[in-house]
Amino acid sequence: MPRYLLTQGVSFVVTLWAVLTLVFFAVRALPGDAATIMGGLDATEEQVQTLRERIGLARSVPAQYAAYFGGLLQADLGDSLRERRPVTNVLIERLPVTLTLAGMAFLLSLVLGLGLGVLAGLRPGGPADRATLLFTTVALAIPEFWFGFLLILLFAVNLGWFPVLGLPPSGLTLASSWNLILPAVTLAIPRAAQLARLARARVLEERRSDYVRTARSKGLLPAAVGRHIASNALPGVLPLLALELGGLLTGTIVVEQVFGLPGLGLTILGGISARDYPVVQGVTILAVTVYVLVNWLADMLQLVADPRLRAPT
Amino acid sequence: MQPWRIIRKHALLTLVLLLPLTGGAALAQTLTMAMAAQPDTLDPQVTAATAAFQVSKSIYDTLIEVDRAGNLVPALAASYAVSPDGLTYTFELVEATFHDGTALDAADVVATLDRIRAEETASPKRVEFQGIVSVAAQSDRTVVVTLSEPQPALLSSLASGWGAILPSEKLAEGHDFGNQPVGTGPFSFVGWTRDNAITLAANPDYYQGAPQVEQVVIRFVTDSAVQLQGLLTGEFDVVDTVAAADQPVVEANPSLTLVREPSGLVLVAGINTRREYLSDARVRQALNLGVDTAIVMEVAYNGGSQVGTFMEAGSPWYPESVQPFAYDLETARALLREAGVPQGYTLDLVLPQPYEAHIQAGQIVQDYLRDLGLDARIRIVEWGVWLSDTYGGPRNFDITVVGHTGKLDPSGRLTGLGDPRTNYTGLDDPKLVGLIATANITPDHAARQALYTEALERIHEAAPFIFFGTPDRVYARQTNVAGFWMTPLLDSYDFREARFE
Repeated sequence: MPRYLLTQGVSFVVTLWAVLTLVFFAVRALPGDAATIMGGLDATEEQVQTLRERIGLARSVPAQYAAYFGGLLQADLGDSLRERRPVTNVLIERLPVTLTLAGMAFLLSLVLGLGLGVLAGLRPGGPADRATLLFTTVALAIPEFWFGFLLILLFAVNLGWFPVLGLPPSGLTLASSWNLILPAVTLAIPRAAQLARLARARVLEERRSDYVRTARSKGLLPAAVGRHIASNALPGVLPLLALELGGLLTGTIVVEQVFGLPGLGLTILGGISARDYPVVQGVTILAVTVYVLVNWLADMLQLVADPRLRAPT
Repeated sequence: MQPWRIIRKHALLTLVLLLPLTGGAALAQTLTMAMAAQPDTLDPQVTAATAAFQVSKSIYDTLIEVDRAGNLVPALAASYAVSPDGLTYTFELVEATFHDGTALDAADVVATLDRIRAEETASPKRVEFQGIVSVAAQSDRTVVVTLSEPQPALLSSLASGWGAILPSEKLAEGHDFGNQPVGTGPFSFVGWTRDNAITLAANPDYYQGAPQVEQVVIRFVTDSAVQLQGLLTGEFDVVDTVAAADQPVVEANPSLTLVREPSGLVLVAGINTRREYLSDARVRQALNLGVDTAIVMEVAYNGGSQVGTFMEAGSPWYPESVQPFAYDLETARALLREAGVPQGYTLDLVLPQPYEAHIQAGQIVQDYLRDLGLDARIRIVEWGVWLSDTYGGPRNFDITVVGHTGKLDPSGRLTGLGDPRTNYTGLDDPKLVGLIATANITPDHAARQALYTEALERIHEAAPFIFFGTPDRVYARQTNVAGFWMTPLLDSYDFREARFE
């Protein structure tokens, strides 16, 4: 176990460094910088240059790289060029929205996806299976931005159950997390569909196993057989769950835009268009960390769920 | 089945409990406005963004301000006097208090103007204050500004958002005005969640009298469809964007009011005058004649007035002698033939994203150019790329579409034009530069106007742009909202007299 943790830790640091380096140079390869954009149409070239010096963009790229990674070692993510405050503050302000949204969407897709998938797999060709097939086909085909908009029209404009615009001015509170339901549903539906398909396939596979045939021939109740099938089929779904959680992070970018939610998605979009390099890098660090953590968690869960993996190798 | 029933029951219960929290939470005296753009900072000295000044107008005051008719009127300066040589401005201050409780005095004005002139502030508007030799507090309430040469545009600069007066005590501390603005304005800053909202509270001690609403909430809503829906559900009291297609919906609804008034924009297709053929004024005139700008204004910009030179329609500085180019395909073709432009000549037409209207205008221009036998190839680039690669830097374009925002004084609009280094069209016209430079420092109004008129006529002839026109500024509000207005030319939001009726 300690060895496992160590290798995981090293691979996390290496992954983070590689991704961050890539992002560091990629954002700087984009034409234009924060000073040009802040200067707009009226600023002269000299004024833009002064601004560049003021916000630390006048240094060479290697110097910026050294300064940035040096800061990172001291847990300093730098200052946002546009907002002129520490990136850490920006992230702390934005992270809860995205985490809550992704968390809600994850739970929804888990319940809906696994539920439908298992139901469909247990009775292939039955009404539940056909309904699931229809659901997954439609859900995977609908673009998120369109579906989100449809939900807004129906539940916010026509029924008035939700405000049209994401969160109240006060931001995310216990009461306002209710507003995240529509975005969470938007985000969850296509992922639930993917999960449902995989769960169904795993259940079908399991149904053909010898032990199921034996159990059936011994006259076990269908519900009991179903429980056995589900508990053996589901661990195989875990790796996909981890992938899906990672995908949720990218999905939030679209959904936050549609619903106007002040989370990390809008932050990185705004950061890119303003060429706010430290902010883009900061969000990258968070995204990589979450991704690695989630994969690690899935590994752990699989160990718990599948005793065979626990055997010494 | 039992667990399901429990879950369902609970879900319903939760639903019922949570419902009251979602609707009707806003106070009746809170005015909510949806805004498409977003400030980058609320420090008025370090930004050039219209969106920043639109919001900061409510937090700060300026010495002089613009009234509803577009005139410069006294604000924090109860009165001002200009010496006959145009070199000394004396301002007498009103009694006012900053949101932090300190009283306004001459030292605040001195510190404010010193900061924007300082190189380390890196203000994009610094150049407008560079003619200032000194700012001195003659007494507690009197400020004297001395110039090196006459600068009639100074009052306009002081009346613009970047002329906002900041408290000297906070300036000395190096206070973060960008995130925690403190001014004397009608509203004090409460909070700002980026991409979400800025909340402002009425300042009961405002020197012109307390505002009528208790709170102003500005929501950032990029999508005009969402703005419209929020307007329809009553979530927003004022929205700053109404898509052309949605305007009939708003007009047909008696509880909503569509406001249409002239803006200060000049919309153009800039022509790169350093490119082959485009360096020939005849070709540029042909482009102006061959594009029906009335159609461009109507279709892409939803109406407005055409212009024939680089000045907004309706401006007192717009010369009566200059007419917009009238669509004339035959003359345009003849001019192109005369200039020897080959049939099927290709042009690089660069359009900035995410400005849908400019992109649409560019597509219309492309069609008209085809009629002229020119093959314009559209290239859509993101705004940051456009700024660094098209407008600035290597200036990679033949034709590009953009809007130039309103300026209180013509010097702001015209300075730089005619100098190939400072203007993206690359027009090289020293005589024009001289005219504008002289006009900029001519204190006598009539003489100044004559010089600008000559310059604007010259710009019409040289045609470094396809002149489109000045669009209408269209926004919508709930009919029961009264007293809200937007500053002419600057487009700042004014909530001082806003109220519900």
